[in-house]
Amino acid sequence: MQTNRRFFLRNGALAIAGTAAIPSFLVRSVMAEAAAAPGRRLVVIFQRGAADGLNVVVPYREKNYYAMRPDIAVPANQVLDLDGFFGLHPSLAPFKPLYDQGHLAVVHAAGSPDMSRSHFDAQDYMESGTPGVKSTEDGWLNRALQAEDMNQATRHRQENVQTHTAFRALALGAQVPRTLVGKVPAIALSNLNSFSVGGHGPAPSPAANAFEAMYGDSGDSILHATGDETFEAVKMLRTANPAQYKPGPGVDYPTSDFGNNMKQIAQLLKANLGVEAAFTDVSGWDTHQNQGGVNGQLADRLRDFSSSIAAFWRDLGDDAESVTLVTMSEFGRTARQNGTGGTDHGHANAMFVLGGNVKGGKVYGRWPGLANEQLNEGRDLAVTTDFRQVLGEAVAKTIGANNLDLVFPGARLRQDRFLRLI
Amino acid sequence: MERFKGPIAALMGLSLLSPSAPVSAAQAAPSSPTPQHAPARRPYQSGQLQGDERILHALNRFTFGPRPGDLEAVKAMGLDKWFEQQLHPATLDHADLDARLAQFPAMQWDTQDLLFRLPSYGMIRQVADGKAPMPENRALHVIYENELARVELNRQKKAQEKQEQAAVAANGSMAGADLRAASPPAMTAGMINPAMDENSDGKMSQETQQPAQSNQMSMMTADTKPDPAPIDPALIAEILALAPQPRAVRLAAMQQPEFDSFRKALKGPQRGALTAGMNPAQKEFVGALENPQHVVVDELASQRLVRDMYSNAQLQEVMTDFWMNHFNVFLHKNDETPYYLVSYERDVIRPLALGKFEDLLEATAHSPAMLLYLDNSSSMGPDSPAAERNKERDARNFSAKKKAPEGLNENYARELMELHTLGVNGGYTQADVTQVARVFTGWTVDRPQRGGGFKFDENRHEPGTKKILGKKIKEHGELEGRELLHMLASRPATAQFLSRKLAIRFVGDDPPRSLVDRLAKSYLASGGDISVVLKTLFHSPEFWATDVYRAKVKTPIEYVVSAARASNASADNLQQLVNALRDMGMPLYGSVPPTGYSWQSSTWVSTGALVNRMNFALTLAANKLPGIAVNWTPPPASTTAQLSDGPGPASVVHNPLPGVATQVVPSPAAEEQRLESLLVAGGVSDSTRSAVLQQLDSQSAQNSSQSNPVAVAGRPLNPAQAAAALEKQDQLLAGLLLGSPEFQRR
Repeated sequence: MQTNRRFFLRNGALAIAGTAAIPSFLVRSVMAEAAAAPGRRLVVIFQRGAADGLNVVVPYREKNYYAMRPDIAVPANQVLDLDGFFGLHPSLAPFKPLYDQGHLAVVHAAGSPDMSRSHFDAQDYMESGTPGVKSTEDGWLNRALQAEDMNQATRHRQENVQTHTAFRALALGAQVPRTLVGKVPAIALSNLNSFSVGGHGPAPSPAANAFEAMYGDSGDSILHATGDETFEAVKMLRTANPAQYKPGPGVDYPTSDFGNNMKQIAQLLKANLGVEAAFTDVSGWDTHQNQGGVNGQLADRLRDFSSSIAAFWRDLGDDAESVTLVTMSEFGRTARQNGTGGTDHGHANAMFVLGGNVKGGKVYGRWPGLANEQLNEGRDLAVTTDFRQVLGEAVAKTIGANNLDLVFPGARLRQDRFLRLI
Repeated sequence: MERFKGPIAALMGLSLLSPSAPVSAAQAAPSSPTPQHAPARRPYQSGQLQGDERILHALNRFTFGPRPGDLEAVKAMGLDKWFEQQLHPATLDHADLDARLAQFPAMQWDTQDLLFRLPSYGMIRQVADGKAPMPENRALHVIYENELARVELNRQKKAQEKQEQAAVAANGSMAGADLRAASPPAMTAGMINPAMDENSDGKMSQETQQPAQSNQMSMMTADTKPDPAPIDPALIAEILALAPQPRAVRLAAMQQPEFDSFRKALKGPQRGALTAGMNPAQKEFVGALENPQHVVVDELASQRLVRDMYSNAQLQEVMTDFWMNHFNVFLHKNDETPYYLVSYERDVIRPLALGKFEDLLEATAHSPAMLLYLDNSSSMGPDSPAAERNKERDARNFSAKKKAPEGLNENYARELMELHTLGVNGGYTQADVTQVARVFTGWTVDRPQRGGGFKFDENRHEPGTKKILGKKIKEHGELEGRELLHMLASRPATAQFLSRKLAIRFVGDDPPRSLVDRLAKSYLASGGDISVVLKTLFHSPEFWATDVYRAKVKTPIEYVVSAARASNASADNLQQLVNALRDMGMPLYGSVPPTGYSWQSSTWVSTGALVNRMNFALTLAANKLPGIAVNWTPPPASTTAQLSDGPGPASVVHNPLPGVATQVVPSPAAEEQRLESLLVAGGVSDSTRSAVLQQLDSQSAQNSSQSNPVAVAGRPLNPAQAAAALEKQDQLLAGLLLGSPEFQRR
């Protein structure tokens, strides 16, 4: 588990401040530093359950698409055309302006080189960033932050000061996802408003002080470390009070869990708490049965998905400049509809990349085609872009993780082979 | 186990432990040996748990956590005998549990009855569409009428939304270029709250995730239209003042939407007052007037927690939890799932939880809950008679609109091998998955909307021989599936997979290979007998190794239930515990993917996750969870007399008896010692204890300056003041102990 400590905050100012709140001047300077570099913040969204990429970004000029999906295909005249070949599912209407403005890019036929069709394994491989290797202990996004630290260490060798907060690696949810597990401490929280121990007063409650001392002195190394991080986060949140950052006028998040998570990520970003990498997930994509076409199950999912992300984008306003967002899902689904009006587990999928620095308005990647002989194992869209290419470019160009061999060991990523979408 | 329950046993524990300073069980062990039970076949080994720690370890692993007095009771009985009893739940006393479960009458009904008497959305829609008759029974009639009115209201609302949406879309396309301006309103109008969507067309599949319950909560009072007329507070007062029976009758007489408006107008305690004094059947009825589906979902979760907290057959409940997770079925897969889950847990999982794995596998494969959850019920052989008929029909009449497509669905086939039996590395291929799917074609559910049972539909079954894992399965209808399940249950890969999972649950996150191999051997030798495997585990040195003592971090359900058990809590209403589990990321029946929840510590310990646990401990201990009341045995000095009356009301306030005019408030250290021995089996570390005491010191320093003497030892006090002060101190103490690092582990 997490054992490295951030010696500046932990052993420096915090130790002096004791159990009182962090002095606000310190909070400000720490946050100013973390927020300084533009485009440094990366938001990752995992669509758990394997989204049906072929009905998300529809290859509407592929004849075989319609032949293979007689009941669930999105008709060519109903897609939101992107480039004369691909079109968005109509439920992704909120994405269309972002694409047209050049902020949103699509990478199609992206996926894992591993052929597993197990949700669990495929998610695990994507989150560890090491397809086919089960023994990897940490997640790719955590390693990206480690790589950033290495960069900084070489750059500011003489200062030897790290200025990260407990919110540097953030997950919205009850648990830290595999993607963020690792040496760099990560925080999971599901509700900003209840993130406080023993009440919400301006000062820590007596119980909070007792717990802090208890966990701080505990010989239980896992709980000790986690407890330290937890109390640091609680204090920062009390000081920064992110609840004051209400969604801007005209910004309307869906009331779904995903919408609520995106809203809270926006609040934490706006509160300048030092978030560098944020993660959340959204499930319900495992449409084996009756998934629908223009309307129905998948359409509803996509509406929530795109409305939440578009609201997040508008909500960030000027802050959006410094944020890059990537979406991913463990694999795609069968090119043909199955016997029950749905699709079974497949292979390649579509990823979205959104951001101020993104060269959007374009569908990236080489299209492998949907003719029967072009399908992977005769049944799925083939992978032509390794998902790590996309993520590698994202971490290199946002949080400055240049050591890609550390982030994606064995992938042999090279900057000169990036898709150049950021 | 009944005889060692309750305050008397707790007092026993107190007299054993309280006079001296709390010693760790390890120190205590040599001075309190258990010679009469020390098994000869397990000679003393270094690195093996001894004495009390053995018992605490067994209680921690095979139960949902020790209650006060459990240690002493098991010690008196002998650990081996206790474990034997746990393996044979029928021999245990269930009277207390049965009395508690009597508050959930519907949980005894079969699925058809449940769906009829507490109708699902699907059922109501059938009635609305004239496909099912309106029940004649008067009480049921009212329940259906309320629901029908809500469905109608929703339909109107949807139609209206659609109109608005169309209007906005038309405007949007006219505006054309200015997409940025046009998009926000278009989006909001087009957005449908998933909960509402579920409400209106029922087929929500896996759309609504874990906090679905909270979504459902918000929609339970039809928040669709503005109230037609405000509810007169006098009416509320009048109805709440009625006796239970007339009150229920009066509520049944209300029309819609008046009833929903009335329900919505109730504030805080009025909600509880609505059903106050009613018997379980009356409560169910009033609940059904409001939302029959919620009665099912609430009672399902509540009965589970009641069993986990109070059943004497703890190992059976622990294993029920284990298998419910192993054979996960998500509560909100569709309208009928909560209804089928009642029988799934009650008739499929629990009775077989300690039996043969193959029987369990068979039963889950036949269960409507699983058939629906993993879509097998709708799978159809591509060359089955039914498929051939469809092809002919389509060929004859291709202009006609095709019916919903029908054919093979691989979902169950894959998870059966990956998650239920062989494990993901169990040596099967994609071709095997497809073949297994063919074997199970025709395994379906007879009229799921009416709560029907398993049905093998020969017409949907794929003909021909199937080949799986190199073995041929000849065409034989339903028996093919049985043959396959037998084959899967008997494979060494299955033995390994299950053994490792059990070892992770009971021993450690990374269990020793030697242990897993021994369990797997025992599985294969016993024909997959779960009790035999557990017995092997119980007799394995790896289980008793000192380094596994308190090595497992509790999952949320283990944490919540163990805290309730340690504090001897009574539970009139389980909703707060259900909510706590949701907040901690482990809602009951709420795992969307078929993998279920993880047993690994790392999943549950993270920055942030502890906040929920600490807050839960504090609110539980302060009796701030409505419906739950902690019950610590009061200090012996003032309350010995009260105790003889059995379990009293849940309070630590020790009303002074006539003879006791003044009281001595125990010192914080003494109270800490008392509560620690009650709540944290095995005690806390010195550093935890000193953190707790330091906090109390600084508080009492503050308090004495405000002349509110909480803890000034030896000083005579006004009894009421003393009781209140002590109660407050105890609540903080107990909250801190239940939130301590030591209590996070088992």
